[in-house]
Amino acid sequence: MSFSEKFIAVRKGLLEFAVLRAIAGEKLYVADLLKRLAGTEFATQEGTLYPLLSRLRRESLVDYEWQESEAGPPRKYYRLTKSGQQALSELQGYWTHLTRTLDRIGN
Amino acid sequence: MRKVTLVSLGGNTYQLEEEAHVAVAAYLDRASRALAANPDRAEILADLEQAIADKCDTFLGKHKEVILATEALQIIREMGPVQGNGEEGAAALDAEAAGADAGSVRPRRRRLMRLPEEGMMGGVCSGIAAYFNIDVVWVRLAFVLLVFVTGVWLFAWLAMLIVMPAARTPEQIASARGEALSAREVMDMARAKSADLGKAAASGLRDAQRNLRETFGSRG
Repeated sequence: MSFSEKFIAVRKGLLEFAVLRAIAGEKLYVADLLKRLAGTEFATQEGTLYPLLSRLRRESLVDYEWQESEAGPPRKYYRLTKSGQQALSELQGYWTHLTRTLDRIGN
Repeated sequence: MRKVTLVSLGGNTYQLEEEAHVAVAAYLDRASRALAANPDRAEILADLEQAIADKCDTFLGKHKEVILATEALQIIREMGPVQGNGEEGAAALDAEAAGADAGSVRPRRRRLMRLPEEGMMGGVCSGIAAYFNIDVVWVRLAFVLLVFVTGVWLFAWLAMLIVMPAARTPEQIASARGEALSAREVMDMARAKSADLGKAAASGLRDAQRNLRETFGSRG
């Protein structure tokens, strides 16, 4: 079993984290978001991302606004809500805690 | 020369080759089923449709007005399978886990079904051979020899003829063989579906009677 296979579950669980982080910096529409994730371990596809974003919106972590685009119909730009920012900083804290724990176990 | 279908995606008109249209329709149909329990189903489907439209735009230009079947398949591959509630995270990662190649839709569990198209009579032996992935000749030979030993095996065959469902559509045949469906099979499936819709669920008894009638009525 390769390294990347072994950690599929981990990456799957962290995709939400990656998405929250990506749109924390600036509001993005899905094609931008996909581009940003492409080439990383969290590369994903529309078929996954749209259902994920809609769930995050149901949980009030993200929201979108419509913006006109020169290239075609208006686009949905996603951004973090207040509780999304809070959730992200909690996630970040937990992630740091996890990696520290892993480091400590070794010593 | 190929037929072209006019479709509306995200509020704009697109010209798709017939096969491209069937493939895109099948993709959206699968997405719609996967999202059946999702409260935001309609919105996600609209998003997916818009995303397909955007991808179509990249293939179109001043002197290129039609989306080809191969382009539609590429678009569908890029979109990736749709996951029900967004809980499971990355479908792409799942595909990686299953070792599925980009062209196939999903790996499936093998089912024990008759293969009437390939069988000498009812396709019982062909179905068994497909299930165990062995040459059908050995299964037939074993059956004939066993029937010579004791006639009980004839009844066993009859029982299987009645009990084993027949694999008729490309999807069913693929599941009898345990193969992943290729994109082309999905298209065929979508076509077959519209033809099959009328004769959906028959009761077990009616089904069994039909199995018998078909096997003996048409061949001997």
